[in-house]
Amino acid sequence: MKIYPYKRLNRPVALRVTSVSLRLADGTRDQLETTAYSTQQQAVALGIAGHTDWVSATIGLSATLPPGANAQDAPWSDLCVLAVLTDGETNIRTSAELTRDAPDGRDWSGSVEVLRDDHLGRASLAVYVVGTVDGVSGRSIAETDRSWIVDTASDEPVRGLQLEVQTASFKRSSREWLQAYADAPWIVDASARVPTVFVNTDVEGVIGLLDSNGSGMESKVRDLLVAQMATDVWTAVFHGAIGDLEVEPGAGPVFPTDWQGEVLREMLPDVVPGVHVEEALRQVHRRRTGDSGWVELQTRIHYAAVRRADATKALAHVIRSLEQMNRESET
Amino acid sequence: MITQPPHVPERLGLLATSAVDPFLTEELLKGEQVHGGIDLAKVVEPLHEDDARWWVEPIRSLVEDAMFEFREDRTRADAWLAPRLHATLRLTRREAADKRLWNHIALAVAPDYVVWRHRSEPTANRPERRVAAERFRGPADRQCFSRLWWAAELFRNGPDYEPVEAACGNQDLIHTVLRGGLVDHRPTAQALVRLLKSGKITTGRDVVGLSVAINAAGATLIYDVLAPDERRDPVRLRDWIAEAESAPPVERYELPTGPDEDPVPEESVAALTSYFAELFETAPVRGRKSGD
Repeated sequence: MKIYPYKRLNRPVALRVTSVSLRLADGTRDQLETTAYSTQQQAVALGIAGHTDWVSATIGLSATLPPGANAQDAPWSDLCVLAVLTDGETNIRTSAELTRDAPDGRDWSGSVEVLRDDHLGRASLAVYVVGTVDGVSGRSIAETDRSWIVDTASDEPVRGLQLEVQTASFKRSSREWLQAYADAPWIVDASARVPTVFVNTDVEGVIGLLDSNGSGMESKVRDLLVAQMATDVWTAVFHGAIGDLEVEPGAGPVFPTDWQGEVLREMLPDVVPGVHVEEALRQVHRRRTGDSGWVELQTRIHYAAVRRADATKALAHVIRSLEQMNRESET
Repeated sequence: MITQPPHVPERLGLLATSAVDPFLTEELLKGEQVHGGIDLAKVVEPLHEDDARWWVEPIRSLVEDAMFEFREDRTRADAWLAPRLHATLRLTRREAADKRLWNHIALAVAPDYVVWRHRSEPTANRPERRVAAERFRGPADRQCFSRLWWAAELFRNGPDYEPVEAACGNQDLIHTVLRGGLVDHRPTAQALVRLLKSGKITTGRDVVGLSVAINAAGATLIYDVLAPDERRDPVRLRDWIAEAESAPPVERYELPTGPDEDPVPEESVAALTSYFAELFETAPVRGRKSGD
């Protein structure tokens, strides 16, 4: 919990995306369906319309300030509301001022523009309420507690980390480095921009299994396989992220600004339970770079990965199906 | 000391980080022997054929000039190379965020430059001269070439690269500041350069002390309100990129000219410069006695 040397609003700002449109290379606009954004996930997917030639996106926003923002005796003045779009991968920070919908209301609205040339993957969108407090202008007096994710490539508005799954014949792939892994059914590349699973098509039938859907045994086995892959991915990206940490002099390790940061924030509560994520990150970093404790931590890292991958659920479903099959063959 | 690989590609490509390791040999990191280039070319993904920006020769020529000009003082090469690399490559940020491009430049095009620039000096504790692997394939603020490109992108004032030269002249500034996201706000970047040029901040400790103070104050202050920036016009950058086709090689003695974007509003830079100067007066800086 941060301590502020001045009065603030103690509730967060509520932010909603109200519309998304793309400006295409030929100058036309495409107003996207509401399926391009999800209020529950707090995510926007700009890849949903299948355009590869969009130039910019305009995201319509509506923000509701917490109660008390307009109080007669409020200790702040010059209220303004700012939407700020940041992207750690491309060092982008753009801000847009929102305007108040009604003179005494708590709803503000406006839009931010997202330039495609300025982003590679995911940007993050927050809203700040800013005012002059005790004679100091530019004070933040409230903000959103959870940023929206603006994914410039995804075709589905989901918040969580998306793995990329690619299939290739490891023996014959044009990616020659895959040949070294020709006897593995899949490998995880945690050094790619988003963690990628390469599935080896040289294992006969594996693609058929992965593509299977429906409710039969096959799909249960597929889910188990996917859970196993996901466990591998989560473990690999956790180690990747923790191995590349930057250390601020005097302040300890800092969260990476790209998806590696997202991975750490999500997994650390399971790796070091019961403390703030910042403290958990310090502890993990100390145990990795210090004298001892790194080996003991592996079980916790594995546990965090297994939980993320829903491995227990997948396993339970397979076992249940097997039991049913056995029962049917007995009768 | 190694020279360029026997086989240097003609065009830039994308080299996946997972494909890099076999070529990052001990011999290369010690600067003793470089790969042949042929095997490396096999794992590179090609870029668009008809784009003039992907010719390797202009980059090769730049790094060779830098190694000659700054052979007595290699750290000074950063300030010279950063704007010229930026004006030669003409990338969008989206393109520059792809680490595979930087992997390729460092490993296939100019590994000799990476070794020349970043091989450690022998010390009593570590007599062996070595390059850290992150200079070849590390995070954007550490990798040999991407750190220069990003420094140029974040510190240029519209088309003017002069602040880039000043910023890259201070190793600690690009080292400390690129990492944090502090200079993603253009007026902040320009204000830092002004303080540097006026001599208000000079040493690495000054830079670290000031950026800690700015970050601490930034936890409660929204600099975008104190010092608003103009919107950038994406068309101007696109035009500049399209001109790569006909552009002559970048100037060696004069500074090149960047994309024709509007400079940062002067009032915003001025406001932040004096605000940061005030912060710095009261910031705890290691090694500085209070009252200095």
